[in-house]
Amino acid sequence: MNGDLKIHATVHCDVLIIGAGGAALRCGAEILEKVPGASVYALTKVSHPQKSHTSTAQGGLAAVDPKDPLDAPIYHMFDTWKGSDCTADQNVVKLICESAWEQILWLENRGMHFSRDREGRLSKRTFGGHTRNFGESSVYRAVFEADRTGKGIMDTSWGETLKRGITFFNQCIAVELLLKDRRCGGCIAFQQKEGQFIRILAKATIIASGGSGQVFRVTTNCRQNTGDGLALVLQAGLPIMDPEAVQFHPTGIVGPGILASETLRSVGGILRNRDLEPFMVNYAPKMKELAPRDLVARAIESEIREGRGIVNPDHNIPHVWIDLRHLSDEVHEKQIPEVSSFFKRYVNLDTKKDLCPVRPSNHYHMGGIPTNQYGEVEDANQQVIGGLYAVGECAAASFHGFNRLGTNSILELITMGKLVAERVIDRVKGEPTRPDDSFRGDYFAARFAAYVQAVGSESVGALRNTMRTTMTEKVSVFRTEKSMTEAIEQLLELHERATRAPLTGRGLAGNQELLNRWELDNLLQVAMTISQAALHRKESRGAHFRDDYPVRQDAFNYHTLTSMNTFGAVEIGRREIDMSLFKAGGPHHEKFGYIERKY
Amino acid sequence: MKTTYDIELRIRRYDPDQDRTWVQSYRVEAGRIMRFVDLFRKINDEQDATLTWGSSCEHGQCGSCSVRVNGKPLLACELLVENAVASFKTTTFFIEPLPVAKVIRDLVIDTDQAYARVDQVKPYIITPKQPTAQNGAHQISPDELERYVDATRCINCFSCAAACISDHSTFLGPNAMLAAIVRVMDPREGEKRQRLDTIYNENGVYRCHSSQACTFVCPKGIDVAHFMAMAKQGAITVG
Repeated sequence: MNGDLKIHATVHCDVLIIGAGGAALRCGAEILEKVPGASVYALTKVSHPQKSHTSTAQGGLAAVDPKDPLDAPIYHMFDTWKGSDCTADQNVVKLICESAWEQILWLENRGMHFSRDREGRLSKRTFGGHTRNFGESSVYRAVFEADRTGKGIMDTSWGETLKRGITFFNQCIAVELLLKDRRCGGCIAFQQKEGQFIRILAKATIIASGGSGQVFRVTTNCRQNTGDGLALVLQAGLPIMDPEAVQFHPTGIVGPGILASETLRSVGGILRNRDLEPFMVNYAPKMKELAPRDLVARAIESEIREGRGIVNPDHNIPHVWIDLRHLSDEVHEKQIPEVSSFFKRYVNLDTKKDLCPVRPSNHYHMGGIPTNQYGEVEDANQQVIGGLYAVGECAAASFHGFNRLGTNSILELITMGKLVAERVIDRVKGEPTRPDDSFRGDYFAARFAAYVQAVGSESVGALRNTMRTTMTEKVSVFRTEKSMTEAIEQLLELHERATRAPLTGRGLAGNQELLNRWELDNLLQVAMTISQAALHRKESRGAHFRDDYPVRQDAFNYHTLTSMNTFGAVEIGRREIDMSLFKAGGPHHEKFGYIERKY
Repeated sequence: MKTTYDIELRIRRYDPDQDRTWVQSYRVEAGRIMRFVDLFRKINDEQDATLTWGSSCEHGQCGSCSVRVNGKPLLACELLVENAVASFKTTTFFIEPLPVAKVIRDLVIDTDQAYARVDQVKPYIITPKQPTAQNGAHQISPDELERYVDATRCINCFSCAAACISDHSTFLGPNAMLAAIVRVMDPREGEKRQRLDTIYNENGVYRCHSSQACTFVCPKGIDVAHFMAMAKQGAITVG
């Protein structure tokens, strides 16, 4: 068996992209457009780039049309800063908001099927948190492709990379970054279909591996979002920024983990507990169901904790009901047809007659691999690692701070994808030689040998389920010192038990079990950094809420940097928040100081 | 109302290490709203960690989990146990990979091979026209978009290709045809000639036997056969 763990081949390219979702492909398309003939390789864990998580984004992407007399990029910057609970980096906020419309045109000109108004122009819709004139009223800022905007972005960017000659390695994972003298020369990759390890050497390596939602039991994320990119940089001795900034949506559909839109509450849906009591009145007497996302999520979680949730034996996930039965047929058919169809399709319920199961669900990770505004990865001392970049949900340049506004995630991946490409192009052109053979993999073989040779009676599936339940119960919507300390102890134990989880099938080709084992390691590492960073941050900010410290504190006005060389031994550092818009002192600069996040 | 079912899954398996194919039977106690992907995962966690299957989003948007259940191609993430029992009128299900590409292991097929047909029709704008609107975008009326927008909803799950009665060694397949038809109808595409050549060449739309099997199985509810018929009539080139 160990013979199979050697490197089967070494391949060379100009640019290596780890991931093939929206950010990866937008970046790759730009490089190939500007440097025709460049060799760009993209690795994806899924069977084909089109299967990436970006394809599931629904609503739209925010972008200020320069021809819009009512909107301006400065308003979008303000909304993003306020939404972030004053933790976004203002240089990045400015960069993204100002280049947003150009990216809409890039997509439109290359064939994305945006929805149109009667005159044939791009339609726009409003979205929570997006306002004009510094919070005065909501604004039409999000362009969209029906309820499948992410699919439009994916299809368009994938098409462009295909057209310009990208090379895809499908069902292929990056298992070790090749670093030497503060420079990245590529990675060791494992080709699942063939069961072979290869070394990919590249002038520039871009990590665009997506989210980490599978750390939690209830999540809207795809099954492959197991935090692989974050684990990859942790294993290379590099830090993760703000891992504790995890967003939960109040109403995920229990079972499949699909979002049930806020619309359900705005059309008059009532949240009820096990005893069918409408409980929101106890938490937000005036706003009730229409209170902000985080407040509703905490209310639901409280009902569940106090034993007033419902458990369906099919999935054993405690939840509450949203009651839509009293709404008119007109509302069901005209205003919520899509969400109604989700309930029908995935839990076989009729929203007109049945109570519908919902609960807070993990949705987005604001933190990630720390980068500067060009997407260059930084170490714990904020020094750039040569040739290494990160973009998309796995990265944190920090556009979202501690709370992300709806529509800003797919905006980020498309704008940052392009901006990072510009930097990568400079490197590819300026670097005459490709990395040489001295970039070697140090630990992948030992790691995989341990997986394959493990003996014992533990089960990877069971350990994974326990971890996800622990994180959902102890480090999600509510966090306290006690709950997080318990979670950390549990994670240590699970990590130790995982060494005694044997594989049934030991052949490497197409071995899904082996993949699950590798993912478990990654999930545990990400879970540990989330828990430790959240324990360290003794305040509540954005999506990070501490029962024992419910107020935002100026003492924590910084980004957390977590490093972990030994499992469990997390070192906490800090990075200053960029306040360049505030410091520039221009008109409206006062809006970019530490303000209250109140809606 | 019954709350659990005793389900038998008979799964066609393939082990590449031994180049061996067999059918393996698993019994699973399943709740009524469990989906087939949940059953596969339950088998992995409780009975057989080696059973290999594909999945990604698990909410009907990526098409990674398509398989044949009792002969019908569908998405395993959308098939609820109680609906399966009701529509197939049995609690025994025979599960096979889609027959559109070679099998890698168990239910997982070589998607690269299947996608090669989509890549061939160039699923992008070959030569973009200049934008028509003053703000740098094209102006496309909602009516014009309406004619082809349904075809853009295809997720390439290959269910239609699996159900198609045409000869797979020649026909590019219904989903590849949809991708080509979208771009012929897209007013932004400047390269119509090459597109029409692809659609009407010997591996193109005339290989379609109009059985409408594609439309019947499409999990997104796209009337694939309608677009094929339009192409056969030449109705996709008229503005």
